[in-house]
Amino acid sequence: MAGRQIYNPDGFKNIEKDGKIVGFQCEMKAQYYRGITLSIVRDIKVNVDGTDYNREDVRLSVNGETFTLEEMRTVIDSDYRWEFGDYATVSVMTEGGLTAGTHHIKAVQVIDPSYMPFQVEAVCEADFDIK
Amino acid sequence: MSYDIKRSVSLYSYQDEYYDKKLDLEGCLRETAKAGATGVELLAEQMIRRFPLPIEDEEFRAQWFEMLKKYGLEPSCYDAFLENHIYDNRMLSLGEQINMMNRDIRLASMLGFPVLRTLVSTPMDVIEGSLEYAEKMNVKIGLEVHAPFSLNSGWADGYMEMIHRTGTRYFGFVPDMGIFCKNIPDVLADKARRHGAKEECIKIVDDAYAARMAKGFVKIKYDLNLGKANMEYRMANGMQEMMDAVKAAGGGPADMEYAANSFTYSWSDPQDLVDNIDYIFHTHAKFYNVHEDYVETAVAIPEVVEAFKKAGYKGFLSSEYEGGEHLRADMEVDSIEQVRRHQEAMRRAIEG
Repeated sequence: MAGRQIYNPDGFKNIEKDGKIVGFQCEMKAQYYRGITLSIVRDIKVNVDGTDYNREDVRLSVNGETFTLEEMRTVIDSDYRWEFGDYATVSVMTEGGLTAGTHHIKAVQVIDPSYMPFQVEAVCEADFDIK
Repeated sequence: MSYDIKRSVSLYSYQDEYYDKKLDLEGCLRETAKAGATGVELLAEQMIRRFPLPIEDEEFRAQWFEMLKKYGLEPSCYDAFLENHIYDNRMLSLGEQINMMNRDIRLASMLGFPVLRTLVSTPMDVIEGSLEYAEKMNVKIGLEVHAPFSLNSGWADGYMEMIHRTGTRYFGFVPDMGIFCKNIPDVLADKARRHGAKEECIKIVDDAYAARMAKGFVKIKYDLNLGKANMEYRMANGMQEMMDAVKAAGGGPADMEYAANSFTYSWSDPQDLVDNIDYIFHTHAKFYNVHEDYVETAVAIPEVVEAFKKAGYKGFLSSEYEGGEHLRADMEVDSIEQVRRHQEAMRRAIEG
């Protein structure tokens, strides 16, 4: 029995810039049933191996554009929705990224559809490898 | 009375296959036709990328109507989401919300839908403010009546008052058949067991549901504060006592989850459909698990269809599969087979 896939198993990697590791990234699908404007994604909390990362250090990219969580509050453009069933890239800017080897991610997507009395809080966990 | 009960599929049903990219929009339409339905219900934001831009595009619409023709389908209902909290720092103003509603009415009309489904969170004055445009575009606004809400209730009276006051023929209801559950769907108890629930606790919850059925559910009141209305409804229907009993029996997280979720389902007398038939524009034929013998686990399909026949309903029953959410964390979901069985179950009830 296998449940639904949330993360792209090939999407976990460190982010390299100018020869230095400046963070890490993963690719995940929204745990909701329709495409949404980024403005209703109220938070992406990232925890790897028990370490919580700062909200300010998290980025989300769709269709070639990257936004901070703060910037996402006003993103309603049709070209930059988190489409249903599509991966968005979630990056965490942290010097040195992750060490090579196996890790465990626990991310929480907080999505706020207007009609719901409560926000959707989806806990997304997976084991992954960094080469 | 003469009736004309047609079958549709809400593409919401195929969300797991769409998520896994096993089906695209055309694939969903193909499966809808294969299941025997003649109508299709669409959540544009679910399956039309770059919403709403493509709908404005003539070429896209030509493709849409070409696909409908190819699969012999007619548009039944457009499911709108009034995103009035699109920014986290404020609610949209009344004028902005009416503009958004009118945009959705226009989009529905361009794709050929005669009915637009709106949600209970849509303020009354937004609906009233859109009635003139709805009439102009000939798209009826149907408010979804989803558990814990029900027809013939204080909540529904608030809307009936508006219908009578304005004399509109462009606002009514879209009942969701989840309000006709004779018991809690089996897929919930199966999930609770997989996650370690105790038989004793499951029985407490099932017995409490049966007791609510026997006694009659206390109906929800009209209140702009939906969270408050829902909590009052739950307490009036004995939620606290049931939760206490589950806890006293040593209930863990899986037991508590099963207990809390049991309030997502409710039972209304199918006679409510007969009483309100003039205001019912479309129906979500919600279902959770149809077995190989074409018996649905919880929804009273034969009784509901009987009531629609008695009422002389002329409209669609649109399959809306919602069992997948109780399976997908642990196993693969087969919505295609579930919809096929559900369409057959409805066909038998309608033609039988």
